[in-house]
Amino acid sequence: MMETELTEDIDQPLRDRLKAHPGPALLWGAGLCLLLLLEGPTYLDGLLGAIGFGLGLLPGAPGAEAFASASAFFSELPHLLSRELIPNRGYYDGSAWQGTFLGLEPKYAWLIRFLLVYVYVAVLLGWLWYGYVTFRRHYRAADWTPTDDVIDRLRSHYWGLFGLAVVVFFITMAAFAPVVGPTTAEENIEGPYSHDMQYYDADTETVETITIGEANLGSASRGSGDSNVGIWSYDDFGRFHPVGTLVSGKDLFTFLAFGARVSLFIGLGSMAIAGFIATTLALVTAYYKGVTDLIVVLTSDSVQAMPALLLVILATVVFKNHWIAELYNGAMLFILLFALIRWPGLWRAVRGPALQVGEQEWVDAAKSYGQRPTVIMRKHMAPYILGYLLVYASLTLGGVIISVSALSFLGLGITAPTPEWGRAINIGQSYIASQSWHISLIPGILITLVVTGFNALSDGIRDAIDPQSEGAEGGATGAAAGGGGG
Amino acid sequence: MSRATYMLKRLVLSIPVIIFGTTVTFAIIRLGPLSPAAAILGPQGDARAIRQIEQRLGLNEPLWEQYFEFMGDLFLFDLGQSWVVNSGTPAIDLIISYAPRTIWLGFWAVLIALGIGIPLGFYAGLNPNTFSDYFASFGGIVWRAMPNFWLAVILVTVLSQTEQLFGFSWTSFIVETNVVTSPNLAVLKNPTRLITDPGQAWTNLAKATKQILPPALVLGSASMGTEMRIGRTAVLETINSKYVETAKAKGVSPRVLVWKHIFRNALIPLVPVITAEAFILIGGSVLVETVFSINGIGLLFFRAAEQGDLPLVGTLMYLFILLIVGLNIVQDFAYTIIDPRVGYDA
Repeated sequence: MMETELTEDIDQPLRDRLKAHPGPALLWGAGLCLLLLLEGPTYLDGLLGAIGFGLGLLPGAPGAEAFASASAFFSELPHLLSRELIPNRGYYDGSAWQGTFLGLEPKYAWLIRFLLVYVYVAVLLGWLWYGYVTFRRHYRAADWTPTDDVIDRLRSHYWGLFGLAVVVFFITMAAFAPVVGPTTAEENIEGPYSHDMQYYDADTETVETITIGEANLGSASRGSGDSNVGIWSYDDFGRFHPVGTLVSGKDLFTFLAFGARVSLFIGLGSMAIAGFIATTLALVTAYYKGVTDLIVVLTSDSVQAMPALLLVILATVVFKNHWIAELYNGAMLFILLFALIRWPGLWRAVRGPALQVGEQEWVDAAKSYGQRPTVIMRKHMAPYILGYLLVYASLTLGGVIISVSALSFLGLGITAPTPEWGRAINIGQSYIASQSWHISLIPGILITLVVTGFNALSDGIRDAIDPQSEGAEGGATGAAAGGGGG
Repeated sequence: MSRATYMLKRLVLSIPVIIFGTTVTFAIIRLGPLSPAAAILGPQGDARAIRQIEQRLGLNEPLWEQYFEFMGDLFLFDLGQSWVVNSGTPAIDLIISYAPRTIWLGFWAVLIALGIGIPLGFYAGLNPNTFSDYFASFGGIVWRAMPNFWLAVILVTVLSQTEQLFGFSWTSFIVETNVVTSPNLAVLKNPTRLITDPGQAWTNLAKATKQILPPALVLGSASMGTEMRIGRTAVLETINSKYVETAKAKGVSPRVLVWKHIFRNALIPLVPVITAEAFILIGGSVLVETVFSINGIGLLFFRAAEQGDLPLVGTLMYLFILLIVGLNIVQDFAYTIIDPRVGYDA
């Protein structure tokens, strides 16, 4: 946002600078189009599907049907990262694999698709970064802006970069959940008995057809004896399971990928709402001070004095059969609850910076020539506190992910069949010491990794925007960890 | 402003906080889509029984009357009774019988967290950028990010299988105990037995302590990591401050320097962490007590919520709010004593 502000001050607008020297911009734009086109149908499918879902929530669901069918149309189109292009499911007929990508073993076919997703995301992000560099080199009027320093500091902050990598890994897994898993949630988790699969029966030397539900019964991980499909192994039906199967025989990796989706959806959703509330209140209280400030202080104190996890438990029970708990199997209720519970923490974190910026001369100057308060807050104060908001939102997001998994561990909240990591931990509880240890351990390790990643990213951003802040981490970090303690 | 006025102001400001929290609880319970009477009886309850319970709970009175009655009862500590979990028992009796185990758990959780987290953090801060510092810091970060219910589940498994895994038995280590069970605290209710009947009483005390250590370790885990990190930063900051340099220059011995000049000042930023721990303990006790099946307040709350015992849930919520507000006041009071520079107008 710094760049745009500065460029606006220069007499020649960005459009003219682009026109005067279009080469690098065109090259970059073409590259971006190519990258987006490769996966175009997925984006359109997702976008239209989300709009359709949103419309479906409105009374009467106007136009939801049309969007759903358009979304279905795009999901049929071929694209790069699809199960159809690189299928990993097939059967071994005694001499070769049938139905898999290039006749490879399902293991390798899946691995290729999995890696391709990450390569694609890496290239896309690299290209966006290249776009920023191009902009900086060719089109930005100023040689230097403070943002450059922030970015440079972040680039040399290895702990923060580690966090960023983990967060990108997690978001990719959530966003491309239908592609990265060895199977889909629809087939394997939600309706295993309404989908068929083929496998090769070595005894009769024939290809048999079986419903996935029946096959799952044979691939269950139950600790003792033969019934275990551990990490990096095949089950009896030639299906590959990168991190093993659940007690029900369903694929754990697919479960985790779709579980990541739910966690991320709740985390981002609640942080977006809480962040909006916190920013608005911080700006208003820093601008008007006095009674407004006191009211918000009291409200936030009151919200923070309520035991968060217990409040969520109570609300989940009370709203169990309410329509709001039906939306995305309870995720919507969680978003609202966590937004309402976590905004005071965010507000406390940005209150200091907001008060600081409110004292600046440029705010006074803007006031004195009669700019409207809302414009002052938005243009002259908000950019300064958004960095801090990001720091604490990232920290709190980790806490929300832990809380959500804790609640599904207790059997509350996100209801089956929607996967949630905490539920896998609960299911696998009694098998930890057996050969089926993967059911509980892998989701737990994943939660730890993702939460560490968000914490590290938050450390990185904090050190980047405010290099002197090292010592001040104490209270805020403690509070955020407190929130995450559930 | 003097300390007394400051504390008085603090007390007065805590009243709206308590009223707010209790009002929200009332709103969720009475205005939420689940009627308390229907929740108590479950899906099978017939209309007449529901009406009877509504009558007894006063649900058919006007809402504002219900509100004032609810608030009035709680503020006068007329805490009502349990309807489902332990039907007919006054809530206060339930709480008195469940609370000691949670307090015992919380006591050890704080003690373990302090006893491990602070020394480790100070050690890391005194030896910055060494291998042991990196090891301790990284350990603290990961330890803090671990979901404590997961840690609890793993600890339960490992401790029940120590025989096969490590070749020694945790259950028969020193005193015979089970891993997943409530500690028996009878001996603490009657401490004179420690003298009159030492053999039996001390064994019981050892058992209760040994049983509580694993859950306390789990419950204290998040704060342990935080205390470590903040302890490290605090020591680093103090070491680099001018007065330490002065003390060094005038020839204060390293031991006195560490214990007298660094240690005491580095403790200040740890105060809010220690009280913040209380909040973690309240939320975390639900999970840890469930996994270790300890009959404490957390488990009582969870059962009450799960089984639809909403009147009991409301009472417990009120007590938790009181506890948190009380701890906050204690923290602010401790602050004014430890660090007189703390502004009273905050």
